[in-house]
Amino acid sequence: MLKLALYGKGGIGKSTTTSNLAAAFAVLGKKVIQIGCDPKADSTINLLGGHPVKPVMNYLREYDEEPEKIEQIAARGFGDVLCIETGGPTPGLGCAGRGIITTFSLLEDLELFETYKPDVVLYDVLGDVVCGGFAAPIREGYASQVLIVTSGEKMALYAAKNINTAVRNFEDRGYASVRGIILNRRNVENEWEKVSTFAEENHLQIIADIPRSPDIIRYEDEGKTVIEGDRNLPVSQKYLELAKMLLEEEEKQK
Amino acid sequence: MRQVAGLISTYSSDEFGICSALYELGGMVVMHDASGCNSTYTTHDEPRWYDMDSMIYISAISEMEAIMGDDEKLIRDLTETALEMKPKFVAVVGAPIPYMIGTDLPAIAAITEQETGIPCMGFAANGMNYYTKGVSMALEAIVRRFCTGPAVRTENLSVNILGATPLDFSLNGSVDSIKDWIRENGMDLGACLSMGSTLEDIAGAGRAHVNLVVSYGGLAAARYLKKQYGIPYVVGVPFGEKFPAMLAKMLKEAASSGKDLVSYRPVGKNQAPPGTDSQNSEDHLAGDRINGRHTGKDADKTRISIIGESIFSASLAAAIELDCGIPTRVLCPLDTEDILLRECDLRTPEEDDLMKYLPETKIIVGDPMYRVLCGKDQRFCPLPHEAFSGRIYDPVNPNLINRKLAK
Repeated sequence: MLKLALYGKGGIGKSTTTSNLAAAFAVLGKKVIQIGCDPKADSTINLLGGHPVKPVMNYLREYDEEPEKIEQIAARGFGDVLCIETGGPTPGLGCAGRGIITTFSLLEDLELFETYKPDVVLYDVLGDVVCGGFAAPIREGYASQVLIVTSGEKMALYAAKNINTAVRNFEDRGYASVRGIILNRRNVENEWEKVSTFAEENHLQIIADIPRSPDIIRYEDEGKTVIEGDRNLPVSQKYLELAKMLLEEEEKQK
Repeated sequence: MRQVAGLISTYSSDEFGICSALYELGGMVVMHDASGCNSTYTTHDEPRWYDMDSMIYISAISEMEAIMGDDEKLIRDLTETALEMKPKFVAVVGAPIPYMIGTDLPAIAAITEQETGIPCMGFAANGMNYYTKGVSMALEAIVRRFCTGPAVRTENLSVNILGATPLDFSLNGSVDSIKDWIRENGMDLGACLSMGSTLEDIAGAGRAHVNLVVSYGGLAAARYLKKQYGIPYVVGVPFGEKFPAMLAKMLKEAASSGKDLVSYRPVGKNQAPPGTDSQNSEDHLAGDRINGRHTGKDADKTRISIIGESIFSASLAAAIELDCGIPTRVLCPLDTEDILLRECDLRTPEEDDLMKYLPETKIIVGDPMYRVLCGKDQRFCPLPHEAFSGRIYDPVNPNLINRKLAK
């Protein structure tokens, strides 16, 4: 099972990248689960035609009891991707990080992986590794590889550095390791040079270079990923190439 | 109201269950919790504390350590203390604070093990689950980690006891009586998890022919031993005069057939028959009596309700029905599974549930602290439960194993 966690600065395009990767894996015939780990709970919306799934935290708040079936907190989207959102507490209250851990425990109790038997699991994680809860997706048993999404913008690279450092700090715990950087272009001047210099300095590899594309925004307005909208577009091909590469690597490791 | 106990006490939490299950095994148990009135883990609910040594510590997590997520201090303290005390294992147990900040205790245990070379286990307890879950977590972890001996069976039929802690069985001789009863029935005693056995005994638990699960806390360990060693398990406690004979027969049957049995449930309800001669008249009657078919005209008015842990209470209910002929049901407020209850038994997680069902009964059997729920026209039979009222009623807690039950 390929288990990936995507981290990056808020607003950098993590959910877009994750959903397109999920759609790409599905197009390649894989059984995929995407788990949004962000109180905003909008990670999977473009796999679901713009109709959001009920987040786990909302379910718990509404029913005051744990769900008994996966179906109560999941929805199937494009390519039969199983979409789950942790959601979060009432804004300004509670603890969002704890919400992620609770969701993961719940999914374990519901034997999600055992019953659904996915080939690929994607965790789309809020911004930075700000506390224990946001490190939960990279703990043993969850994601084994971290993909950092960044542009060439200064603050995005700053966040990427923090994420890389945080993950490295957990090396002795058997947590996930950073597989590489996904460059999500924002048309910053000398963007490739800036990101490749950063990658070199931090001993990281750029594993994908996603061009800035108006098609992404156009299809998102329709509640779709570009893979669903038109998989022949150059930007769609980039996601497909990345998905293929990650699958091939996993195959080699078997 | 949900999750509100306005009249009754509350049960011990998962942390207590872990402490109790590991108490006698020579390990160093560290509660990762704030310092203060933490003696409850080891005194109020632990009757062995004054007579038997055990290494139980509190990490004394501070506000700043919690905010900063300073796991390094805990790892350092664990390492230094473990190297000094040389325990057989280290168990680091969670509590509400580490739960809320998401401390990864299994990862901390793994690092401590690397540093010390001593087996370490992390338990994600949070103080919000019942002790039953804690006992279950601890016993499963112990057998997974230490029961590594060969799967070679002993010559004579031998039985492990799983799920015995003072939280359910007190120190009134009940567990010793279960051991005596096993021997009196021509079987050898294997390991007893977790009263009266050493870690070395547990290492050889895979040699037993059958496991006797005496509380919910022993079930996960039994399932692991079934998977790993093919050892079948029988669920039940030999209460009363007639029920122990049935239970002994089922232990032998399970050892021979390999099938798991819940002794007090009826034949055909996910269980194999208790024995080859189970269809004789007496057993048939017993089967009807213990399967919850309370068909008498006044059954509902005469029945007894037992409040407590599922396996303990359902076994006692079966024993009462067999010995006294009185329809008896269980009201279980704790963790359990449907398979561990009979059709007539009910899960009653809330105080409100108890208040709803108790008026239907004539006699209530339960911890003395349940007496407040007893109506004027009802009879209350106190049966102290350490996990509910601590050591308060220890002197009057009766041993009901393998003996006639008073009417």
